[in-house]
Amino acid sequence: MSYNELTRSYFSKAPCAGTLEGPDRFRGAAGDPAQGAWVQFDVRAVAGSTPALIEAVRFQAFGCPHLIAVAGWLAEHAPRRPIEPRLPQSVSELRERFAVPVEKTGRLLIVEDAWIAAMRAALGVPAP
Amino acid sequence: MTNRSVYLDYAATTPVAPAVAARMAECLTLEGAFGNPGSASHEYGERASELVERARAQVAAAVGAEAAEIVWTSGATEANNLAIFGTAHHYRDAGRHIVTSRTEHKSVLDPCRELERQGWRVTRVAPDRDGILDPGRVAAALRPDTVLVSIMHVNNEIGTIHDIAAIAALCARAGTARFHVDAAQSVGKCAVDFGSLGIDLLSLSAHKAYGPKGAGALAVSRRRGVQLTPLQYGGGQERTLRSGTVATHQAVGMGAAFTLASADPGAEFERIAGLKARLWRGLAAIGGATLNGAGVSVPHVLNVSFEGVEGESLLAAVQPIIAVSTGSACTSATREPSYVLRALGRDDRLAESSLRFSLGRFTSESDIDTAVAAVSDAVRRLRAIAGA
Repeated sequence: MSYNELTRSYFSKAPCAGTLEGPDRFRGAAGDPAQGAWVQFDVRAVAGSTPALIEAVRFQAFGCPHLIAVAGWLAEHAPRRPIEPRLPQSVSELRERFAVPVEKTGRLLIVEDAWIAAMRAALGVPAP
Repeated sequence: MTNRSVYLDYAATTPVAPAVAARMAECLTLEGAFGNPGSASHEYGERASELVERARAQVAAAVGAEAAEIVWTSGATEANNLAIFGTAHHYRDAGRHIVTSRTEHKSVLDPCRELERQGWRVTRVAPDRDGILDPGRVAAALRPDTVLVSIMHVNNEIGTIHDIAAIAALCARAGTARFHVDAAQSVGKCAVDFGSLGIDLLSLSAHKAYGPKGAGALAVSRRRGVQLTPLQYGGGQERTLRSGTVATHQAVGMGAAFTLASADPGAEFERIAGLKARLWRGLAAIGGATLNGAGVSVPHVLNVSFEGVEGESLLAAVQPIIAVSTGSACTSATREPSYVLRALGRDDRLAESSLRFSLGRFTSESDIDTAVAAVSDAVRRLRAIAGA
């Protein structure tokens, strides 16, 4: 398996890997390590921001380099973005940016599900 | 070799020994033995033929066979195919049942599957959790219509050594079944004695033993009167078993490599075994490491699974530093867990998170320490990312 430079970089550095703690942390996860792919995002909002803005995101992940790289990239670029129940870039845009084989799109959908779950939790929107 | 990763994939292939390469080069150009070894009408052909026959004798000597029993092939895959299809088709009137194991190389399993598709029955014997085949289970699988038993000597993924002598004795006692052994990983790593083990067919590979790729052989027992139906026709070379011009340089390379590999291997065995023990000590210290193939094994292969890490990420993390194989077949989309490790009872996750380290002539203590550090860093980092 070959990876593009962006994937190699974010996989090797895994920026923002870890967790957030405290009552103002909101969490969302998707996937299952037993199935080979799992992602969890923790998000914290900027206090008093309206509309709500992201202060910080941390992630944990079990999965392939693409999955780890995309999760790390999303977490790193999240601060100051609005909290909304969608990815800042579409799955197809992320797939192109990280040169993810089309057959691995399912991994990106797991990232998307985890991201949306975390954002929904931060917005107080119940899961569908 | 500066800036290249540490090569620990000698079970996949080995570099050609410089002395072997030099011998091969002598067969390629106008000044050398470039003639067609089948051209008996002139000195060029005679010279090439002499070298091919000398190489045949060298390969035979390395595995305890007679020179006349060696049939050149393009490698162990072709040798396995010739052994399996050749036996099945020649003895088809005697029976259509084959016994093999679940941990054979694909070049045995796939021909068996194809024969199954054509109407043969195949029994695949499972190994124990340590990767060892119980000869009794092989014997129990034999039937009156069994025409072939195909069992590998050394497993390519986990390095375990099967008790070929015991299986051969059981086959002989059972009657008509021919016994084929895939010994692609054996030469230079453990003793092979075709003549005394009671084997009918033995597959060999050059490039696993510091010889060239594209060269192999099938030893076909004359003493035991083994007959095969050829896979290809046209020219009648190799006693009609493998038509086509013999590649002089490949044969010469294989002969030279096998001679080197079988020359006093004791000290090298000890050195490699010491490196393997050092590697396992280092990897076991990481924690959550499972040794795959804990049975009797060759000194140069170590297969280890790591709990709590995903296989593709583990390989990607260590790849810049060490060149190893993974326990899964990788396609662009998915990774199939190793069927060998699954046969040992490992679950998908553990099978996928395995690495095969295979050591060789040029492996040093420093290489081992580099590998331990690389894997240790990768496993700890990936476990931390996963929150494990």
